[in-house]
Amino acid sequence: MADTSVKDPQVKKAEPLFGKAERKLLVDPLNDNNPITVQVLGICSALAVTSLVYPSVVMAVSVIFVTAFANLFTSILRNYIPKQVRMIVQLVIIASLVTMVELTLRYLNYPIYKQLSVYIGLIITNCIVMGRLEAFAMANKPWRSFIDGIGNGLGYGVILIMVGIVREIFGKGSLFAGSPIELKIIGATDAYMIDTTQSVLFGWYANNNLMVLPAAAMFLIGIFIWIQRSYNQKLVDVS
Amino acid sequence: MHSTKYVVIFVLILTSTVAVLLAGFREITKEGAERNEDIFNKRAILLAVEDYLGDGVKVNNLADGEVLNIFDTQVKQVTLNAQGQPIEDGGVKAEDIDMAKEKKKPESERKLPLFIYESGGEKYYIVSVRGTGLWDEIWGNIALKSDLNTVAGAAFDHKGETPGLGAEIKDNPTFAEQFKGRTIYDNGAYVSVNVRKGGAVDKEHEVDGISGATVTANGVSDMLYKGIKAYEPYFKTLK
Amino acid sequence: MEFLNVFIKAAFIENLVLAYFLGMCSYLAVSKTVKTAFGLGLAVIFVLGITMPINWLISEYLLSENGLLGIDLTFLRFILFIAVIASMVQLVEMVVEKFSPGLYAALGIFLPLITVNCAILGGSLFMVSREYNLTESVAFGLGGGFGWFLAIIAIAAIREKIRYSNVPPALRGLGMAFILTGLMGIAFMSLMGIDPAVFTAAK
Repeated sequence: MADTSVKDPQVKKAEPLFGKAERKLLVDPLNDNNPITVQVLGICSALAVTSLVYPSVVMAVSVIFVTAFANLFTSILRNYIPKQVRMIVQLVIIASLVTMVELTLRYLNYPIYKQLSVYIGLIITNCIVMGRLEAFAMANKPWRSFIDGIGNGLGYGVILIMVGIVREIFGKGSLFAGSPIELKIIGATDAYMIDTTQSVLFGWYANNNLMVLPAAAMFLIGIFIWIQRSYNQKLVDVS
Repeated sequence: MHSTKYVVIFVLILTSTVAVLLAGFREITKEGAERNEDIFNKRAILLAVEDYLGDGVKVNNLADGEVLNIFDTQVKQVTLNAQGQPIEDGGVKAEDIDMAKEKKKPESERKLPLFIYESGGEKYYIVSVRGTGLWDEIWGNIALKSDLNTVAGAAFDHKGETPGLGAEIKDNPTFAEQFKGRTIYDNGAYVSVNVRKGGAVDKEHEVDGISGATVTANGVSDMLYKGIKAYEPYFKTLK
Repeated sequence: MEFLNVFIKAAFIENLVLAYFLGMCSYLAVSKTVKTAFGLGLAVIFVLGITMPINWLISEYLLSENGLLGIDLTFLRFILFIAVIASMVQLVEMVVEKFSPGLYAALGIFLPLITVNCAILGGSLFMVSREYNLTESVAFGLGGGFGWFLAIIAIAAIREKIRYSNVPPALRGLGMAFILTGLMGIAFMSLMGIDPAVFTAAK
């Protein structure tokens, strides 16, 4: 990936590269301003890929890449973008970044590319990306926008991976299936299914098929929101 | 507000820059992506004869080079026309046949790929089949032993079956495992291998279905029946 | 596959929201009352029905290797699709505003939202990966839009009623909407086994 991460010398001179404000931009989306559970953005493309952790991680990384760089480029161009076609320009930027992600995945890891299929393309309409461009990058300097992009991508990724972990452990009994570090956590292994003399941990556990259904992701996010709001009263929906 | 002229020029410059960048990026990754795809497809074919690759060899642990090497040295490729006659030189190579495109052609014009894997003096005939599952297409490679009756192995894949349900045809090795040793002829009459909901009754020609994935399972049965039948005329000439 | 066949499949069996969870953002944000949900639902049917055939023509005649240009441009698919969607939405907005102020009043505010509705782009991407033909893509667009419309009306109606229920405070609003959607998704799964051919074969 041809990264062009730091490229705004004026900002460096004027204020610290990573001060309090930047820290807030990075940390806020993880809890108080989480894109999924608080801003309710970017749920669409997320749910279908979270039945396993590994694709969730790949998806999260892709989204972080896209939000960060879409924010960066939009912010650089923000004073030149004509208002009339603002949306189309933003979408072109996002779409080309997503195309790059797709091509890169195809080059680096073909099986996972196959597995994520259309959901890679759907990052384009992932409302977080667009939402952050509108709400932040159009009005802020490149470096801060870049941090904001990473923060929001992370906030999204954290939820995605959390959902993925719960769904995979209870739905499949494993973790990181399909990746080089596949772990079998609970339930009978494939080897056990073929040869029952093999002993396994918690071999009695039967996979919970509800967890692999897409609906489980909805329940889990609902429950995450419940837990988060019980601790964070200011987020409670009064309406 | 910017003038219309500015808007047009801005959009033109942006889109052409993006198009050129992406085209360049694609050119760089193209070769690698195609090689990946080639290896991915060849792995899928070898998966059907995994048991006969050598002691404890797992297709997914083979290095890319080894996959290509096995294909070059031990696999003979034959392209058949719809009547089951081998197409001599000048036709497409079996590995270049795109089953998705063939499926859309009228049956009488289809080309069929056949891979003959040789190991330890035994020949295994790997046929490719393609059909429709619940959401989308499913496909697989079935290896027959040299009696052209007993299944030596099977491997399936899908485009978009429900994770945990239909997708188990690929994800759960026990599903494909069941096919080993089943026979496709019943006293000389072609019966294929059937996936039965609720569990196989006829242990010779049936395998257990996946609970909750009846439509996918029926798709597999249908695909196997039609797919293997297409090779029958050629197999008759071999016997 | 016939028109009706694809339509029914897209609307009920493979509902974009309840089976694929596409278009969730606007689905959750605009489903507080039935009235607004109705407007957005109509707008989605409208835009899906229009963009689908256009994107089909583009991917068939412009991007494909066998198209007019003769080169494989599929890597530009995302950009072109989203550009078509964005410009179509804008065009529809202008046309509706000019010729039907009544409809504009109902749909107007929702139209810009639709560009980033994943259901629209998702529909086009599904259309490509499933290799539909022109008629099927129109059917898929209208059916998918109708399914989306049904889903948002249903959740809005439930959310209107649930306001009178005693939901734990932290779960109120968003949390409950997620859980309800999950339940609806499971309910819709029972339509999964339907073979759409029965509707067309009966005639």
